[in-house]
Amino acid sequence: MAKSVHMLDSIARVTGTVPYTANLKLPQMLYAKVLRSWLPHARIVHIDTSRAEQMPGVVAVLTAADLNQPGGPTTFYGVQHKDQPIVATDRVRYIGEPVAIIAAESTDIAEAALHEIEVEYKELPAVYDEIQAMQPCAPVLHGDYPDNCFRHARLRHGDIEVGFAAADEIIEEMYFSPTANHVTLEPHVTAAQWQDGKLTIWSATQAPSLVQQVIAELFNLEPEAVRVMVAPLGGGYGGKGHIRLEPMVAALAWKVNGRPVKLTLTRAETFVTVNKHAAAIHIKSGVKRDGTLTARQVTIHWNGGAYADVSPGLVGSGMLRSIGPYRIPAVQVDSYGVYTNLPPAAAFRGAMASQGTWAYESHSDSIAHRLGIEPLAFRLQNLLVDGDAFATGETLHDIHFVECLEAVASGIGWNTPLQKNSGVLKRGRGLAVMMKSTIPNSTSQCRLLLDDDGQVTLFTSTVEMGQGAHTALAQIAAEALGVPVATMNVVGPDTAQNLFDTSTNASRSTFMMGNAIINAATLLKQKLIEAAVPLLEHPPEELSVRNGVVCVTEKPELCFSLTDILRRNQLTSVDALGEFQTRVAGLDPETGQGVSTPHWHQGAGACEVEIDTETGKVAILRYWSAAFAGRVVNPELARLQNDGNVIYGIGPALLEEVIFDNGQIANPNLSDYNIPAFPDIPHNLNSVSLEGESGEFHGIGEMTLPPVAPAIANAIFDALGIRIYDLPITAEKVLRALQNE
Amino acid sequence: MSNATLKVNGKEYRLSFSPHQTLLHVLREELGLVGAREGCGIGICGSCTVLVDGRTISSCLMLAVQAAGHDITTVEGLADDEKLHRVQRAFIDHFGFQCGYCTPGFILSTVALLANHTNPSAEEIREYLSGNLCRCGSYPNILKAVMSLSDSEV
Ligand code: FES
Ligand code: FES
Repeated sequence: MAKSVHMLDSIARVTGTVPYTANLKLPQMLYAKVLRSWLPHARIVHIDTSRAEQMPGVVAVLTAADLNQPGGPTTFYGVQHKDQPIVATDRVRYIGEPVAIIAAESTDIAEAALHEIEVEYKELPAVYDEIQAMQPCAPVLHGDYPDNCFRHARLRHGDIEVGFAAADEIIEEMYFSPTANHVTLEPHVTAAQWQDGKLTIWSATQAPSLVQQVIAELFNLEPEAVRVMVAPLGGGYGGKGHIRLEPMVAALAWKVNGRPVKLTLTRAETFVTVNKHAAAIHIKSGVKRDGTLTARQVTIHWNGGAYADVSPGLVGSGMLRSIGPYRIPAVQVDSYGVYTNLPPAAAFRGAMASQGTWAYESHSDSIAHRLGIEPLAFRLQNLLVDGDAFATGETLHDIHFVECLEAVASGIGWNTPLQKNSGVLKRGRGLAVMMKSTIPNSTSQCRLLLDDDGQVTLFTSTVEMGQGAHTALAQIAAEALGVPVATMNVVGPDTAQNLFDTSTNASRSTFMMGNAIINAATLLKQKLIEAAVPLLEHPPEELSVRNGVVCVTEKPELCFSLTDILRRNQLTSVDALGEFQTRVAGLDPETGQGVSTPHWHQGAGACEVEIDTETGKVAILRYWSAAFAGRVVNPELARLQNDGNVIYGIGPALLEEVIFDNGQIANPNLSDYNIPAFPDIPHNLNSVSLEGESGEFHGIGEMTLPPVAPAIANAIFDALGIRIYDLPITAEKVLRALQNE
Repeated sequence: MSNATLKVNGKEYRLSFSPHQTLLHVLREELGLVGAREGCGIGICGSCTVLVDGRTISSCLMLAVQAAGHDITTVEGLADDEKLHRVQRAFIDHFGFQCGYCTPGFILSTVALLANHTNPSAEEIREYLSGNLCRCGSYPNILKAVMSLSDSEV
C-alpha cells in the first residue's frame, strides 16, 4: 500500500493559510506578557504589582498570591514530581522563571506594564553543572532532594567485576553533550478562556490529552470541563511534547474571568522555557583482544534544570538508550537526573538517545582503534540480532541493526578506497548505529465516521506537526476500509470531540494510532456488512468490503456501494471507535531487569567528511542514513523524516549549543545560536527505510538523528586521528585538537 | 498613530498604526495576512519574507511606515484566483515542506530568484536561499522544487 500521497493540506501549506495557533485571533482577545526572574536563584522578598494593575489597558496581573484560592488553581504541577509553581512563589530557581503574568488589551501595553512591577529579591548561591550539583556542598534547589538528584535509574546485568576481569583491554572515556534548543519556528503559544467554571485552551502542544488531564487536576475540575484544541504545529521536535505554557495562561484566564487571553513567546523566551538535557557521560568497556565485549559501565548525569518536568521518566529511558545495541554479558548503568539553576529540560528529537549514542558510538571507534579492528567489523561482530537478550534481560524481536548499518556503509561506499590527503584538506569516513526504546505503556483511541455522501472522517488526537501524521493515518484508514484516500478527512485534536491519545511523542503515532485506526476500520466494516446482509441476502461471513463496496466475496458483481447501504438503511452516517494499547511488564527499579518497550527503534548513519586543517572547518560531503520502518506508509514523507532528522542532527553535532554565563543564556537568538541552513547540508544526502517481515509499523520520527554526531566524529578521527569528546564539533575545537596533536 | 496607505497584493489599504510597528506586525495583525511569520524577529530566518517592489525583504525589520508607497507582495498574493503560482505548485510536487512554517518565505525568495535568474544552478539556489531557515530540514526537496523551475535543469 506504500504510496507517496501529498500532504492532505498541501495547498494551505504553500498559500500560507495553515491555521497555526500563532495565528489565532479570538473575539475580545487579550494579550499576555510574562515577568521573568533575572536572578538564577533567589528568595522573593516582596512583589508589588499595584502600579501595573492601575495602568490603562491592563486587565489582570497574576502572581503566586492569586493561587490556591477557593475555586482557582492550586500552585504546583508536574507530570511526575509536582515541584513546579505556575508562577514563582517565594523563590526563583533560574533566570527566566515566570514571576508574574499580565493580561492587557495589547502586547505593547502588557510589555510596558512589566516594567511597573517591583520585585525585591535576596540572592542565593546557585549551581549550574550537573555533576557539581550532586557534590555535598552544592546549593540545594528543592528541600526534598538534598543531593539535587531527583531520579537515579539503575541497571545491573551480569557480574560487572567478572566482566572487567575477563577483558584484555579496558577503554574508559568521558563524553559531553551540551544544552541545545528545539527552535521550533513557530514559538510556544497558548490561549485560554475561563467561562462559567470551564476552561477552553488552544495550544501548540504535542500532548492535548495530557494537557487536559494536568489542567483539570490543577483546577480541581472534571476533565470534561477542560477543552483542549490543537491546530497544526509549526514544528514540535519534543519542545512542545508536554505541559508547558498552559498552566500559567489558564491561571491568568481564570483571573481575567471571561475574555480569552493569548501568550506568544518571543524567540528569546523560548530559550528559557525548555531545552535539551545536557549530559555528562562516563563510559567504560572491557573487551577481549579478538573484539568481544565483556563488560560495560555507564554513568550519566542529566542536567534537568530547576524543575523535574518530564525528566524523571526520561532519565529511565536515557538509562536504556545509553548502552548501545551490542551483546555485552555484564552491564551496569547509573543514570542520574539532577536539578540545577537552569531552565527545565525535556525531550529533544532523538530524546535521551542522542546523548547516549554520542558517547557509545564514539566509544565503539575508540575500542576498535585500540584493538586495531576495522570499525564496521567491530560493530558487526557485536551487534544484537533477533533472539538475543538485551541488558534488561528481555528477548529482542524484529531486530535489524546489521541491515541498517550495512545499508549505510554500502551507501557511502565504505569499502571503496578513500583518497585521504590532499594538502590542507583531509578526508575521512565514519559510521554509527543507535537503539531506542519507545513509550512502554500507552494508549491511542480514534473514531472513524462514514457519511452518506461517501466521505470518511478520522477523528484523532494525534497532532500534525509537520511529520505528515494526518496524511499517513488517512492512508492507513483508507486502506483498512478499502476506500480511496481522496474520500478521507482528518479532524485533529479537540478533546471535546476526539478520544484519548497518550501524546504525539517518541515516534509512536504511526504504530499506535495506526493500529487503533485499523481496529476501528475492522469494526466499521463489520457494521457495514451487517447492514448489507438484508440487501444482498447472504450471511455476513460471505460478504466483504473492498473498493468502496460491500460485495459477496465469491460473486463480486453482487454488491452495494457503502453510500447505498447507508441510504437503504436510512442512515446518514455510521461510525466505529478503535483503540490500541501497549502494556509491558516494566523494569525492576533496583536492577533494571524486565521488559522495557513494546519494540525497538533502530537507525544508522554513515558519512564522508572533509576537514580544512587550516581553519578546522568540517564539511559533510556525503551522508547516508537508515531507519527500520517496519512497514512504510508513505515513502516520500518517510524520506522527509529520515533526511530531516539528519539535518536536524547536524545542528547539535556541528553548530548548536545554548551557552550559559552564570545561568544567563548568552545566545538566545538565531543570530548567535545557529541552526542548519542550506550551506550546512551535504549535497549528497540519502536515506533508506527498511521494512520487516512482520509488517508492524515502526515510527521513524527520530531514528536517523542520534547517529549523526558520532558518525561525523568518527569520520574526523579517521581523517585526522583526533577524537572530539564535547559537542558541538566546532571548527575551533577541531583546530585546537589539531594543535594539541 | 501614523496614517499610511499600504499597497499589498495589488490592493490599497488606508491604515493607522503606531509608528514603531513593523511591516510584519501590520500585515498579520491589521490585514490578517498570516503567511508572513515571525521566526526570529531579527532578520535571520526568512520566515517573514515578503516582496517589496519585487525584492525580498525581512518584514520583521522594516517599519510599516517605510513600506508606504511601495508594492508589497505576500504569499497570499501569488496564486491567480484558484490557480497556484508555479513556485507553489513545484513545492507541492516535490514535497518541499513539512510543518510549512518556513514555506511562504522560501516560496517568495524563489519567486524573486527566478525573476532575476531564469536558470539558476543548484549552487546559486543554495546560495540565494541561504537566508531562509527550515528547522524541519526540507532543504533537499526545496532544492529539487526550485531546480525543476530552472531552465538549466537537465
Ligand atoms: S522573523 Fe524576520 S527574518 Fe526571522
Ligand atoms: S517545513 Fe517546518 S520549518 Fe520548514
